[in-house]
Amino acid sequence: MERIAHVEKLRLKFPGDTSLLFKDLSSTFYKGEKVLLLGPSGCGKSTLLQVLSGLIPHSIEVPMKAEELVSPTSWGYVFQDPDSQFCMPFVDEEIAFVLENINVPKQQMIDRIHHHLQQVGLHLPDIHTSIQTLSGGMKQRLAIASILALKPDVLFLDEPTAMLDPKGTKEIWNVLKEVGQEKTVIIVEHKIDHVLEFIERIILFNEAGQIIADGPKEKILSTYKNEMREQGIWFPGVWEEYLDTTPLLRSRKPFEKKEKVLEVQNFKGFRQKEEKILVDDLQAYSGEWIVIKGENGAGKSTLLHAFMQFIKTTGHCELVGIAIKKVKKQTDFMTFVFQNPEFQFVANSVYEEIAYSLKVDKVDSREIEIKVEELLEWFQLVDHWDKHPYQLSMGQKRRLSVAASIVKEQKLILLDEPTFGQDSKNTFALLEWIEELRLKGTTIIMITHDEQIINNFATRIWTIEAGKVISDEIQSMNMKTELVSV
Amino acid sequence: MTKGLKLTDILVTIVIAIAFGIVYILWGSVYYALKPIGLHADQFMYGMWFIAANVAFFIIRKPGVALLAEIAAASGEFLLGSPWGLTVLLYGVVQGLFAELVFMAFKYKRFHISVAILSAIAACLGSVLMDFAYGEIGDLVAWNLTLFMIARFLGSILFAGVCAYYLVKVLEATGVTNLVRPASSKDYAELDQK
Amino acid sequence: MQLDFSSKETWLHRINPSLKLFVLIMLCIIVLLVHNLLFMMNFTVIVLILFLCFTGQPTKRILLLFIPFFVVFLSTSSSLIFFGQGNTTWFKWGLIHITEESFFRGLLVGFRALLFAILGLTFALTTRPVYLFYSLMQQVKLNPKYAYSFMAALRLIPIMLEEFQTIQNAMRVRGVVRQTGIRSVFLKMKAYSIPMLSGSIRRAHRIAVAMEAKRFSDTRNRTYYYEIGFSKYDIVFILYFVTLLLAGYYGAIKGV
Repeated sequence: MERIAHVEKLRLKFPGDTSLLFKDLSSTFYKGEKVLLLGPSGCGKSTLLQVLSGLIPHSIEVPMKAEELVSPTSWGYVFQDPDSQFCMPFVDEEIAFVLENINVPKQQMIDRIHHHLQQVGLHLPDIHTSIQTLSGGMKQRLAIASILALKPDVLFLDEPTAMLDPKGTKEIWNVLKEVGQEKTVIIVEHKIDHVLEFIERIILFNEAGQIIADGPKEKILSTYKNEMREQGIWFPGVWEEYLDTTPLLRSRKPFEKKEKVLEVQNFKGFRQKEEKILVDDLQAYSGEWIVIKGENGAGKSTLLHAFMQFIKTTGHCELVGIAIKKVKKQTDFMTFVFQNPEFQFVANSVYEEIAYSLKVDKVDSREIEIKVEELLEWFQLVDHWDKHPYQLSMGQKRRLSVAASIVKEQKLILLDEPTFGQDSKNTFALLEWIEELRLKGTTIIMITHDEQIINNFATRIWTIEAGKVISDEIQSMNMKTELVSV
Repeated sequence: MTKGLKLTDILVTIVIAIAFGIVYILWGSVYYALKPIGLHADQFMYGMWFIAANVAFFIIRKPGVALLAEIAAASGEFLLGSPWGLTVLLYGVVQGLFAELVFMAFKYKRFHISVAILSAIAACLGSVLMDFAYGEIGDLVAWNLTLFMIARFLGSILFAGVCAYYLVKVLEATGVTNLVRPASSKDYAELDQK
Repeated sequence: MQLDFSSKETWLHRINPSLKLFVLIMLCIIVLLVHNLLFMMNFTVIVLILFLCFTGQPTKRILLLFIPFFVVFLSTSSSLIFFGQGNTTWFKWGLIHITEESFFRGLLVGFRALLFAILGLTFALTTRPVYLFYSLMQQVKLNPKYAYSFMAALRLIPIMLEEFQTIQNAMRVRGVVRQTGIRSVFLKMKAYSIPMLSGSIRRAHRIAVAMEAKRFSDTRNRTYYYEIGFSKYDIVFILYFVTLLLAGYYGAIKGV
């Protein structure tokens, strides 16, 4: 077989880190192979992809050396964040940018643009469409179309669906399978159910950046299940396994109506004077876990923003029995966990971050100490208490953002896709913490696309369609839903 | 001089500058609300306009970054249709040049707070020179002109010097600056460990 | 930058952007050298005609955009009018001292600022930044590294504004807004700028890497999707200013 990419005894170290990320790592990739790189976050899979493509060290300066390094001559690279891989404002201009880079004459450009958009199934009425108006899935298609313009032999895919919902994920993998058929494809991905049928070979990394296994997928999947579970990889069947082994879920008490925490009637939320969300009549009681579901752009986040009064609202809305606009400090009763944890960090250390809201409220310092230590313990952040919040791993950041938000023990917690992009270990831990809060009587309102969370954790489901809450179902504990009102 | 800048350096500088460009437009409304009072309370706020050069330089630490940042921030404001657009574009070039000269005098190797303050003062000096050419502040009566100068220089030192310096310090703690700063030879040497 | 300023295309849109920018800068230098108030007023009218009639904006928006011009005019002229030097006193009250000289000086500087504002806005309203940078690469040989960096950064503005909004909400939830006192001003500055800056830096870095992954390189030898050249409108544009400015200057000397 023809060797297409190869590293021999690779050593690499990020500036400021104490230890090497790779120490004498070697691996070879052959023409036409479809390879999946698996491993825990921070193990260096993406870094390896960047080394193989030559992006490190040509575009990203990272100290590295290798005894031998072979990069493919013709390659394309798809990144995970749809919003940070384009440099032009319009669809046609973005693909044209690539064509300009490889000196395609202007006369051929329009045809080429149409052709590549066709290849990825992005059918737009006008190719001069603003990229900003596209959904995440469409943006990733555009990203693929623009690298197809390079006519690459090798595709490097760096978690291309990490920021997409389940529907978008499926569509993108269908496209990738089609355009990648004849090519060499090297993939980094956590959510592997769509990837598995496409690849032949898996390379499994451990936390120390070493390759612990390399071989045909069937063999790796069956032999290294424990390692994969430990690493939080979303391998097929991980949910079923989790549900079978977790007693917490089987002993769930049925929900009983107690204290009314939130009540809205004829409630509307506006962005730029435009009505974006409408609710006829909804209540939330203590000890409920409400999931909001609906298509992208249906208005799920808008509804949470309306509850939080981030946007202008009209109609009736009562928080703990008081009209919400008359509640002096709304954040004493409800809190919000943002999708991107970094936006809500304000302090310079994990400890200070959790203590922050209490300090603003001038709570007694001894009391703060007890509370913060309890939360550090609970969310497994004790070892990192003096780190800067930005220096944490993705999972730790998420845990910190939840801990810092709930420190005042608010009665109502709103969460915008808290498990988004998290590995399975973190997801399960987070869900269990939220469940514990619920059992203490806290009301949870959470946006998620994850069917498993909806089926196994929610006590009530609100469905949103085109800016309107269209159904409100109570989920009974034997996993069947009954309709209360529409 | 800017030949040594890589695409990453340029793009990061411009994005930082444009982020400040947005702040400038918001800051501008505060500034011009204070201005008609006439006693130069507004001049104290003026220093904010020099912050982009210092922040960008202290993050990236390469020649040309300060000048590029000021030009980019000003062009951002200009292209967004600020009524002060063309004016700030001319001012931006001069201010950036003056700040750049200070960093050059230190051979782009000193990153102490005193350098930040000096470059803030230099940028401020640049703006004052432009004011003489454009706004004819030289015609102000002496006491008023003195007040004007004191307010502007003090504000520059505070916002563009001290604030910029500490802002970058906090950014360093977040680890993001490692992305854009050149790796040291020490880092390369450590590849050979064990 | 036409964020949401959709407009009709006029002949001003079709002028070569580099040329437009060059003429504008020339005009600005001329404005700096003008010390004759009458000529300055004529000058203002000449530019104002372009702004009012040929930016292709709906009348309502033109009027709305006009408001900041008054602020510009007043705020620039006021301090000179009130505190400028001069011999012929018109009015004196406490620190305020208006003289004939300071009044006309103030007016002159006010008009100068007004002119800059109209020129700048006229350009911004009739020029798509992408065309400007393509033209700068083709006519002025601007290094593509800079041109594409600017275009990429401009694309990020709406994203950054959205992020700013989110951070604002987050700070409300966390109680940052409730802090008071002098220290809180700096704390708030930090609370807003750190997530904004670190997010922007990382995003910019990723975009730069993605651009190089798409084989962007320094060479000036590249093809262009938009080939921007010159047209008859460019001549019209230059002639417009040359003739009218000469007429305005002549008129000013004759006292019109």
